[in-house]
Amino acid sequence: MAHEHDEHAITYKTYFITWVWLLVLSSLALGLGYAPINEKLKAFLLVGTTLAKILVIAAVFMHLRYEKLNLVLITFAPLVLAIILFSFTFPETLGTVTHVLHVR
Amino acid sequence: MMWIFIVSDALTFAAFLIAYGFMRSISPSWPKQTEVFNMVLITFMTFVLISSSAVMAMAVAAARAANPKLALRFLVLTIIGGFIFLGCQALEWSHLIAEGARLTTNPWGVPQFAASFFVITGFHGFHVLSGVTILVIVAIRTAMGKYSADQVENAGLYWHFVDVVWVFVFAFFYLL
Repeated sequence: MAHEHDEHAITYKTYFITWVWLLVLSSLALGLGYAPINEKLKAFLLVGTTLAKILVIAAVFMHLRYEKLNLVLITFAPLVLAIILFSFTFPETLGTVTHVLHVR
Repeated sequence: MMWIFIVSDALTFAAFLIAYGFMRSISPSWPKQTEVFNMVLITFMTFVLISSSAVMAMAVAAARAANPKLALRFLVLTIIGGFIFLGCQALEWSHLIAEGARLTTNPWGVPQFAASFFVITGFHGFHVLSGVTILVIVAIRTAMGKYSADQVENAGLYWHFVDVVWVFVFAFFYLL
């Protein structure tokens, strides 16, 4: 699989432009962290910014855009499983602040 | 093989971050991270890791183009970035420990806050340290002429994975 993208050699300029985009997205995320906006909206926008950064790194730096679809799907499996795990555990926390853990 | 390792390791980090989200949701209050952490330092660490990831991608491209000298230069720059990141993390940990943060207690009231901080950033930091070690070995092999483009590429995949994890930690632990 490592040899399959030889014919799609990415130029140094592309890596530089990707690096600039990642810095822009990171600055945007930092700005959102301080923005006086609704917490739910902030969470939604931060998740969006984070996913955009992940996609850029995976596609360009990790060359996933030149890999087979099977490998791309396997790579994003943890994200899907994390969403499933989150959707199972999160309802447990709704309205139950009495579940305070005391680590002692 | 490297992809299988990355996917399994990603699951471990996903479990940590979801456990953190769960603990945070059940806590009646949570310290405001921007008031506890030195965000200038954290932003600098993010800049360093993203930059080192870009330079690592260039090292892989140079290795693929059969240019070991250029690949070595980029590898050394990546290693320097890794060491700077680790130095900043050590600084951040020492500040928090000096303020009284421990695994089971901290001055900000919620015990889970410091516990999740030390576990998540510690586990990520261990990965950065492992990555730097791998990169040093690959750089030495490249300098000795025992250079293999596949080795550089695998080291690069691991380094980008470490960067991806930090993107999640930066957003969900420090900003959200």
